[in-house]
Amino acid sequence: MKTEKRILTLLMAVCLALGALAGCSSNEEASDGGTAGTTFVLGDTTFNAENEEPDVNPHNAYSGWACIRYGIGETLFRYSDTMEIEPWLATEYELVDELTWRITLRDGVTFSSGRALDGQAVKECLEHLIEVHDRARGDLMIDTITADSQTVTITTTEPRPTLLNYLSDPYGCIIDMEVGITEDGIVVGTGPYIVTSLVTREELNLVKNENYWDGEPGFDNVTVLTISDGDTLTMALQSGEIDGAYGMPYASYPLFENEDYTFSSTATSRVFFVHMNFESEIIQDDAVRQAIAMGIDKERFVEDLLDGNGYPAMGVYPDNFSFGGDAVTAKGYDPDGAKAILEEAGWVDTDGDGIREKEGQTLTIRWLTYPSRQELPLLAESVQATLGEIGFEVIINSTADHNSIRVDPMAWDVYASAMVTAPTGDPSYFFSTHCLDSSAVNNGHYHSDELEALAAELDETFDTDRRAELAVEMQQIILDDNAFVFCSHLQMSMISQSDVTGLVAHPCDFYEITVDLRPAE
Amino acid sequence: MKHYVVRRLLQLIPILLIITFLSFGMMRLAGSDAVLQRMENTGMVVSQEVIDAARAELGLDKPFLTQYCAWLGNLLRGDMGTSYISGQEVFSTFISKLPATLLLTVVSILLTIVVSIPLGVLAAVKQNRLTDYVIRVASFLGNSMPNFFVALLLMYFFAIRLDWFPVISREVSLQNVILPALTLAIAMSAKYLRQVRATVLDELSKDYVAGAKARGVKFSVTLAKSVLRACLVTVITLLTLSIGSLLGGTAIVESIFMWDGVGKMAVDAINMRDYPMIQAYVMWMAIIYVCVNLITDLSYRVLDPRIRLGGAKS
Repeated sequence: MKTEKRILTLLMAVCLALGALAGCSSNEEASDGGTAGTTFVLGDTTFNAENEEPDVNPHNAYSGWACIRYGIGETLFRYSDTMEIEPWLATEYELVDELTWRITLRDGVTFSSGRALDGQAVKECLEHLIEVHDRARGDLMIDTITADSQTVTITTTEPRPTLLNYLSDPYGCIIDMEVGITEDGIVVGTGPYIVTSLVTREELNLVKNENYWDGEPGFDNVTVLTISDGDTLTMALQSGEIDGAYGMPYASYPLFENEDYTFSSTATSRVFFVHMNFESEIIQDDAVRQAIAMGIDKERFVEDLLDGNGYPAMGVYPDNFSFGGDAVTAKGYDPDGAKAILEEAGWVDTDGDGIREKEGQTLTIRWLTYPSRQELPLLAESVQATLGEIGFEVIINSTADHNSIRVDPMAWDVYASAMVTAPTGDPSYFFSTHCLDSSAVNNGHYHSDELEALAAELDETFDTDRRAELAVEMQQIILDDNAFVFCSHLQMSMISQSDVTGLVAHPCDFYEITVDLRPAE
Repeated sequence: MKHYVVRRLLQLIPILLIITFLSFGMMRLAGSDAVLQRMENTGMVVSQEVIDAARAELGLDKPFLTQYCAWLGNLLRGDMGTSYISGQEVFSTFISKLPATLLLTVVSILLTIVVSIPLGVLAAVKQNRLTDYVIRVASFLGNSMPNFFVALLLMYFFAIRLDWFPVISREVSLQNVILPALTLAIAMSAKYLRQVRATVLDELSKDYVAGAKARGVKFSVTLAKSVLRACLVTVITLLTLSIGSLLGGTAIVESIFMWDGVGKMAVDAINMRDYPMIQAYVMWMAIIYVCVNLITDLSYRVLDPRIRLGGAKS
């Protein structure tokens, strides 16, 4: 009995010690960062080196995303809600000739260092960008930059109809190169917030830019916390330690679908799609490709497997693009139609095992995909079931090593992947990377003479309306050839506490913390 | 004794060579590399020229043996390289994670000792009585629940419902370490208290306990001075194994609580194929286990003189 008492006393002492430690804790510091005034704390799953965003220096890898998302830097032009280019730090542009662009800058804009934004500042910034940033150098193709007061004249080495789109990429954030870039990757921009400290993969602290040119920022301080675990992000928002969240897992959404939180969702151009391998004998059969396109139940995949957190895709781009959504037509889910097409092509189940055969070959396709995007293995399972009903045998290979497998055209028949099809709002990117003879990842070796001709025209077309028309025509060609099947577009959501307004999801995914973010009245 | 310790430490050299070589090879067999992983994470497509240039910059275009020898040569000169992902020095990054891991290890082991030894002894002393049953059921529950589930439960009750602790424990402090340490301690205690119970029961059945009772020695004295001492070898073996594992980090618990230790770093490094960081981690684990095992063997000699070290003849 005495022993029991001693042990119980010991356990009670432990509990008391825990209580005492808990008493020392305070959530106030987390929510206000220990600084004066109003503070907004954002939990973000993506701000880390793994996403090539180790800091906020737009001239480093993909760190420009952090620079623009967290309200530090701004670009000369930006994207509207319909993904059209509109002026931002610039007010207008003039296409002098096919190689020369004259851009007029906005008056009255200053960097947070106090330096006025003028042509010379933009020239210094862009020259440094193309000196150190391989991707930007390749995209922009800048030959010379000349500055004259509030005007910048850019010449390109070859016609570049998409120059303004590329200048709107996050790497195009204009930063003060007189102040420079610190060792920690901190820069000075023109945005509503100024960086005070940065610890890679942990936190970014910002204060209000008192001299912001486009209104008064709504919060005195902003802290961005890198929270890689989805459950932690969920509970941090529930406990009130953070005021907004980016990258919330789908499963947590129901917890926040109430009046205490504000949801903002939009379709992005990140698409989950299927490449056909034209080197594969079975895929070369038009009927097989057509049956696959008709055998994928996109609606059910989005509704059941993604719990409605996506948008069934028609073509390459979502419907918030003028050349996206219903601008093209794609085959819908039609298992009976698919069966009829296969029957007509000679694919029949002769032995009654549920799998069709033709001339001794079974209707087996090797489905290559990878697990790092949670949607892709789910898509593979969904397709395995629906195509199985039509008479296909689908062998799934979901592996992190997909990049080395997909370059071997003999190792797969169908490859499902995810990508951002229009990161700069322009349609050319997807085609130039995936569909042409010169494309870097045309691993299925698809070729269309008509598409090649239209792509060449797109490269030389400056008129945006004509570019949109070309984008529609080009999408329709690859859909009619069943060279690619687009399954769903990612739904990007941001959730904030109801006492905050202005945290709005944008289709290009670039703008998060803006001057409009403020405490609710 | 001195020779024994030196010999054991010298064994570290071939062990390190073998396991670093094996891990280097296995990471290549796993496919992909840091350049492709980064590209995949961004969701963007870059040209093969850009990929090749990035690989060449990191030395990934060279043959496997050349890469390993280059890494080993740098290591012998005291340079563990730089992370392929963050671009920061591996050694300084690794060292910066150690305080968090050490604190988590110490606190979770202390909590485990405080919970498992008293409860294990109590269950043994009260064998087949209500107290014993309650403790055994609690142990069963603790063993059944995976760490991530316990972590989420603790977070939900202590951080959201009671608001005693923060959800985010990113600052390394005694206050922030409690929930992650408790998560680990619950699973370890559940396992250990059964072991302690079994060992104590075994000792209690021995003749010397009955003899002490016959001579009128108080049971609590026999328990504290003889039985518990005899159980220590078992307990220390278990604890040292756990210490080795904890010093290697606990990726899931660290991720959930945002506790910035070496376990999470290692998993991130593996996912991103950050070879220099993985090699540093592999070396750390080898050193830990050799040292922890050595300390355990030495402690046996102190606790139980019947055990001789180094094969010395009795």
